Amino acid sequence: MTKHRMTLITLVMITLLFTANMAHATVYLDIFGKSFKRITIGIPPFKGENIDRSRMDMSELLNKDLDMSGFFIVAPQSLMDKELTDEGIEKQEIKFSNWKSIGIELLCKGKIQKINDDLVLEAFVYDTLDGALMLAKRYKTKAEDWRKIVHRLADDIMLAITGEKGIMSSKIVFTSGGKNRKDIYMADIDGFNIKRMTNYRSITLSPSISPNGRYLAYTSYREGKPNLYIIDIDKNKEAYVDRTEGMKTGTTWIGNTIFGYSHTSGRYSTIYTLNVENKDKNVVQRNDGITTSPSFTTDGTKMVFVSDMHGSAQIFIKDLPSGSPKRLTYSGTYNTSPVLSPKGDLIAFVAKFEGAFEICTMNLDGSNQRVLTVGGINDSPQFSPCGRYIIYSSNKGGRYNIYLMLFNGENKKMLKFTDGEETQPKFAP
Amino acid sequence: MKYLTIFFAFVILTSYGCAPKAVQLTPTEQKQVQALQRGDDILKDRDKKTGITEEELAQRDKAREWSLEEIKKNAPFKDIYFEFDSYIIKSDYLPKLNEIGNWLKKYKNIKIAVEGHCDERGTIEYNLALGQKRAEAVKNYLVNLGVDEASIKTISFGKEIPIDSSHGEDAWAKNRRTSFKID
Repeated sequence: MTKHRMTLITLVMITLLFTANMAHATVYLDIFGKSFKRITIGIPPFKGENIDRSRMDMSELLNKDLDMSGFFIVAPQSLMDKELTDEGIEKQEIKFSNWKSIGIELLCKGKIQKINDDLVLEAFVYDTLDGALMLAKRYKTKAEDWRKIVHRLADDIMLAITGEKGIMSSKIVFTSGGKNRKDIYMADIDGFNIKRMTNYRSITLSPSISPNGRYLAYTSYREGKPNLYIIDIDKNKEAYVDRTEGMKTGTTWIGNTIFGYSHTSGRYSTIYTLNVENKDKNVVQRNDGITTSPSFTTDGTKMVFVSDMHGSAQIFIKDLPSGSPKRLTYSGTYNTSPVLSPKGDLIAFVAKFEGAFEICTMNLDGSNQRVLTVGGINDSPQFSPCGRYIIYSSNKGGRYNIYLMLFNGENKKMLKFTDGEETQPKFAP
Repeated sequence: MKYLTIFFAFVILTSYGCAPKAVQLTPTEQKQVQALQRGDDILKDRDKKTGITEEELAQRDKAREWSLEEIKKNAPFKDIYFEFDSYIIKSDYLPKLNEIGNWLKKYKNIKIAVEGHCDERGTIEYNLALGQKRAEAVKNYLVNLGVDEASIKTISFGKEIPIDSSHGEDAWAKNRRTSFKID
């Protein structure tokens, strides 16, 4: 062998060694492919004295949270024998080979302490390959808020392992009700802390909340016809109302003060942006027929919307303020409810497909259209702020419920909040 | 009212009947009594007449209400139906709409609302707009016939208020409609 070839081989081998070593350290999952490999994580019951049920509740909730995240395979408790669960939580107390041998790649150990009315949770996440410490955290909260710190831990584990914080501390705003009666609700994504935001004996729907959580917008029939209301939540008063003739709906926000909605009335349909503070109103799109469901990029430079201006319900994109609409969908005659990902790389929408109405995604140029759901009437897709998840409503289960899935359609989970039929969910600040 | 009037009339009659015992009257006094009695009779008659007139008035008022109710009840309103995802009025319904248009032109004071509805398929948002277009298609047609624009409101309910909550083509066809309501 030549000297050069030897050097090359040595270099390659060193590189391989390096990458082999780093393979666990940067456990970044490439989720933009068709599918990705999930990591198996084991979470034995948290340790703690005099804590009784909390220990079990908290580690159970963490199991549930990480399972819902879609990035982990959570090892069942039955896999862990007494030797494993009796182990301490510090590195020197752990036999990592035992965990590795049952297929667990990441190990999360926790300890709870009760200090007066407070709960303290210490958590450690180890890579079982070599015992490397991936995460060490300490949380403290009032005892009754124990769910909150478990969700925070789940989100921090997501950040450490996948590079982005998780969504288990999120709030959701949505519509719930039945025939002739719908109201707006907010809740934690785990189904707790449900807050009723409207209470009119009427149909109130299509909610949206400004990014800073200050304004709630919705369409309501409480005055006899569908009017658009923007409420200042803290002051509990109306910041703006549109009582004109016609249908006003499709509320969405650009930043904290610019509000977008559509108005269908008379010959034209119009999409407006409104500055909630100075009441400045601009026409962003107007055409004959139907134009509705505006959704903007976070910087307000692009808008997607649905229109029948080409003869059937199709999705268009246009540059703001003065670009011309570019059609994105050409398959089928019904493509509606588009929404832009906050990451600016994907559009989710609803397409009539083989008799059902399915949640689909496509790139901003209309390419790579994919069908994510399987049957039923699926509706109102919305992205999480990190862009990794899509929340939507579906009657696939017989009545309308809210579901969460990864942006590629995997890991669908039903969320449950109230007893009513739940629709139009959005992530709320 | 009627009986009360009769009662009062009776009381008046009997109380007048209970006049003091006959006393010898001078001719002038006799004339005065006669005049009084004549006055009483006139009053009696008038009371009787008033009673009847009031009753008649009550009956006439009732008749007038019935008429307006009758008119509204007999309005030639019928739901207009649409194809899926369409707000085009099918020619089948034009004769019916012509009839409604003429009726509205005849009863100019009656205001109506056209409600637009959709079947359960499709998205909530798009259906809210579609229902509006259906209602407006009907309104436009009537306005073109000469009905006053200000007398017709349009309200879309999207797919929120189906008339038939079951699933399948039959239910869906019934739900893709506009309905007329008196405002």
